[in-house]
Amino acid sequence: MFDIDIQYAWLLLFLPLATAAFNWFCLTKRPNVAALTSTLSCLVTLVLSIGLIDKSGADNISWLTISDNFSINIGFMLDSLSTRMMLVVTGIGFLVHVFSLGYMADDEAKARYFACLSIFMFSMTGIVMASNIAMTFIFWELVGLSSYLLIGHWYSKASAADAAKKAFITNRVGDFGFLLGILLLWALTNTLDFSAMSIPANTCECLINLTILCLFCGAVGKSAQFPLHVWLPDAMEGPTPVSALIHAATMVAAGVYMMVRVQFSLGEAAFPEFSADVIATIGAITAIIAALMATQQDDIKRVLAYSTLSQLGYMVMALGLLAGEAAMFHLFTHAWFKALLFLGAGAIIIACHHEQDIWKMGGLFKRMKITSVTFMLGTAALIAIPGTSGFFSKEAILDAALAKNPIFFWIGAGVALLTTFYMMRVIFVVFFGKERSHSSEHAQEVSSNMWVPLAILAVLAVISGYGFIATDLVPFNDFKAAEFHLSLPFYVSMGTLVLGIILAYIFYAGSPASDKLSGNAISKAFANRLYIDRFYDNVLIRGVQGVLAAIIDFLDQFIISGMIVGGIARLVGFVGCLLRRIQSGNMTAYTVLFGIGMLLVIYFIVYYSC
Amino acid sequence: MLIWLVLIPLIAAVLIGLCKAPARPTALLSATLTLALGIWAMVSYDCCTDCWSSIHGMDLQLTLGNALSKVMLLLTILVTFATVLGTNAPKGAEASWYNSALLISAGATGAFLSDNIISFFAFHELALIPTFVMIGLYGRGDRRTTAWRVTLYLGLASMVLLTALLMVGSQAGYSFSSIADYVKSGQQIQNAELIGCLLLVGFGTLISLFPFHSWAAPAYASAPTPVAMMHAGVLKKFGLYGLFMFQPMLNSAFLPWNEILLVLLVCNVIFVGYVTVNQKRLDLMLGNSSVMHMGYIFLAFAALVAAGNPEANAWAIKGGALLMLAHGLSIALLFLLCGQVEKQTGTLEINSLGGLGTKLPRMAFVFGLAGMASVGLPGLANFPGEFMVFFSGFAGSKACFGPVQIATVCCLWGLVIGAVYMLRAYRNIFQGDLSKASDYATELAPHERAANYFLVLTLVVFGFCPQLVLQFFTF
Amino acid sequence: MIPLTHYLILSGILFSIGLLGVIVRRDIIVIFMCLEMMLSAANLSLIAFSRAQGIAGLPNYDGQALSIFILAIAAAEVAIGLALIVSLYRARRSVSTKDLNVLHD
Repeated sequence: MFDIDIQYAWLLLFLPLATAAFNWFCLTKRPNVAALTSTLSCLVTLVLSIGLIDKSGADNISWLTISDNFSINIGFMLDSLSTRMMLVVTGIGFLVHVFSLGYMADDEAKARYFACLSIFMFSMTGIVMASNIAMTFIFWELVGLSSYLLIGHWYSKASAADAAKKAFITNRVGDFGFLLGILLLWALTNTLDFSAMSIPANTCECLINLTILCLFCGAVGKSAQFPLHVWLPDAMEGPTPVSALIHAATMVAAGVYMMVRVQFSLGEAAFPEFSADVIATIGAITAIIAALMATQQDDIKRVLAYSTLSQLGYMVMALGLLAGEAAMFHLFTHAWFKALLFLGAGAIIIACHHEQDIWKMGGLFKRMKITSVTFMLGTAALIAIPGTSGFFSKEAILDAALAKNPIFFWIGAGVALLTTFYMMRVIFVVFFGKERSHSSEHAQEVSSNMWVPLAILAVLAVISGYGFIATDLVPFNDFKAAEFHLSLPFYVSMGTLVLGIILAYIFYAGSPASDKLSGNAISKAFANRLYIDRFYDNVLIRGVQGVLAAIIDFLDQFIISGMIVGGIARLVGFVGCLLRRIQSGNMTAYTVLFGIGMLLVIYFIVYYSC
Repeated sequence: MLIWLVLIPLIAAVLIGLCKAPARPTALLSATLTLALGIWAMVSYDCCTDCWSSIHGMDLQLTLGNALSKVMLLLTILVTFATVLGTNAPKGAEASWYNSALLISAGATGAFLSDNIISFFAFHELALIPTFVMIGLYGRGDRRTTAWRVTLYLGLASMVLLTALLMVGSQAGYSFSSIADYVKSGQQIQNAELIGCLLLVGFGTLISLFPFHSWAAPAYASAPTPVAMMHAGVLKKFGLYGLFMFQPMLNSAFLPWNEILLVLLVCNVIFVGYVTVNQKRLDLMLGNSSVMHMGYIFLAFAALVAAGNPEANAWAIKGGALLMLAHGLSIALLFLLCGQVEKQTGTLEINSLGGLGTKLPRMAFVFGLAGMASVGLPGLANFPGEFMVFFSGFAGSKACFGPVQIATVCCLWGLVIGAVYMLRAYRNIFQGDLSKASDYATELAPHERAANYFLVLTLVVFGFCPQLVLQFFTF
Repeated sequence: MIPLTHYLILSGILFSIGLLGVIVRRDIIVIFMCLEMMLSAANLSLIAFSRAQGIAGLPNYDGQALSIFILAIAAAEVAIGLALIVSLYRARRSVSTKDLNVLHD
């Protein structure tokens, strides 16, 4: 492309921070200027990351000096993994900024929104370019913050405020493990730098397992894997462009990125079988339950949210199969088409006057041609129609699964079937058939600053799997983009694709007024997220934690403060009561006592001295 | 020179109390002067001493040689300035309101700069007096009982502490430097184990170590804002400062108690953490959270004791010092905000507040930052402190799990607990629907906003450049 | 010459009478007088010792000097004590020790 010095990476990192601070403090009164500054800064970062794409190198400044030979650094490390990921982050980030200009045009707190987006860009850049795992953790927490701020953008709405809180706390649970993993890794390898990391020989394998699984805890939180997946669907309370950028394309993929980075630094051989199996299993469980839940969601954003969960499960499964290159490839293609789908959903929601229920839409194809076509292209990539980007990346994962462990292959195939089914359900219900409500009858195509990003993303959703874009995406396992063989995985995925489309056509084509499959116990369970959220709320949070806190508070109040401390105080008081009786207040009695005392003193002096 | 750091607030207090000088301007002038003087002293001298007077064996010598002293002095002058700037004294109580802050500031400064362990002790006692009096006179709720409880707890703790100090002093001389010389010359301190126990109990009670913590939360909940800020922010660090100062000389005295200390500090974090989760009032919640956070700093101390000398585990001493500073600033800010919430809405019941963010967006922003600081978010001062403390637990462990490591893992769970109560409080106070109480809120006064921003600024500055503090350490 | 023992017995009797008076009497004036009697008993024994310890016909003046001190202090004590009793009477309208038990409760 064009040639710039790698030192510009600092600008790439800190420009969004400066923009965020400037917007937050100086431009609250001029929201439109704030929006433009953020978008421009994002454009600059996009240009920079294109410029840096084939560079490699690293630079560090010492942030915390611990001793003469050890310090925690803030720095960047450019290699093909981080530069490609930067391209995703800044590319989608820029398009989302542009889309937001239209989507958030009338929002009251536009300046705050764009400032938060810039904070997010800053922190995500930090994660991607981090040269050491401590820095990853720092920015990991900061993306958590920006996600909290953006989910709770409309904070006076109770559900948004709750969702934001839930997201942050759930992520904290994951971070507990992540920080522990970092500590263990540091104790194990004596370094925090990715470039210098290696596990010393003859380390106990269970310790390595523990370390890797603790690190994986962080990914479970951030990438919303089972059992910490509950925050992601709720995070859809945030503005839709945020869902596209943070909760679909970039931040939630950070967990996968981090694990790939660790896998790349330590070497795949260092991953013991046990932890790899656990990771793959967690990914497979997430993929399958999220896909099942997605089949019965009525909110268009929630369908996409569960689909994101399910695709993240795919990537994590690939990680566990030690196919980091496939996970990363899928992350890359998924980012484009999922951002497209979310932005498309946002356009539909705007056009239908903030209606999100798919059963109140219908027939939108006639009214919103561009949005519909781009949305369908995104869907095509998601359900892996041959030739689209999603097809190649999914094929890579299925290939790896078949090679390593056929069980995961069949799970993956099942998930692919479900994916086709629920996405085609959305397509049939939303774009075809009759209008089901007033709001969909009046839908109009969105303005150009919203559909242009859609169009760009649609192109990328189709082509991002091909070699000229995705080449050198992942620097290990001799990764090749856009490659597939006519073998079992291909036939199976073609089978699932066709079957899924047919099933969706049977149930949802021809404008049904409501979901024919809903109503029975199983679909209710899917619609209610298999009751996992309810279990957490009622049993873990209110039950265990609430009761535990109440019991401990009781112990503190009544046992420690009341009985032990208060008991000692009462004992002292009781002794005082006894002693008080001696103090009669009668002068004569005092005199007698005094006299006796004197006599005793004289007696002891005379008979016991010397 | 250094003596003026103590004398200026004392003179101001005398002027306000006895000469009826206008309370707020005088106090503000004094706080500004000490702030300027303190920063100048820290910047211009590597190691300055100020020997004031010498009575046989008991010279009042103030030194600014130790890195810890510098950190604590920094904390004291910053928090004092914010306290004096931001408090709203009720009508008729201006003099005692500002005097309490000034006296605590003078006492704390004296204690942190003293080389002599008796004056170190005496200055702290001086600073405690306004605490008792102010809780008894102007506290919230059941102030009499609380004042008595605090007096008894801290009085007893001081007795235990004085015993230990006298036991050390009678053998090795009554100053930190003479004790260090004594130990360096290879002589043994007699009864070291007993001294270690007494010091841990004495200092521990002052810092609200686990079974001796019952005074802290009610005291902070009851105390008037300036006292809560100064005591939780500054004065409570006296005990930790003392422990860190004695550690290099009396490591063998602390070592036998280290396992017990680890259990107790985990209780501080987990047990008191869940107590905090269960609180329904903002003031009690903040009081308990302050007790909980002491556990982290104790963890640094325990890691230091396990390592032997500060150079062997630089994470611990540096992280501990940074966390003391950060916690002091953040808890002072939170108590300041708590006072403002009460003034604006008339209540501190978390569930009867709500939606305050729509009425007071700037205050919500500041409270959010303060809360996030106490949760340990990067970019704010607490994060590098906590991060280093956790690393100190694993420093040199080669990933084998000893008692310190297990305690560290338990303390890590505190990160989750902290997020739970802080975000819940933030959600219920500032977000959601506007409640009746919140509807009364009006914009804060300029001086209140200034104090808020001042403390936020310090948190951000030390969060981005923790090196500003760490450079005091020479290793 | 009267031996020392006689003086001491007299002094002991005086002291005991004084002590008994302090214990059994209720009127604070009488108690006060009894106290003075006890002081006199001490003076008497001091002078007796002074005389008995004398060398070459001269008494040991230490004891006599001490008794002069005691006399002076007793005078001061009387002045203060009577003033106290007067103000006590003004305050409580009574000089009986039975009524002087405010500290009891």
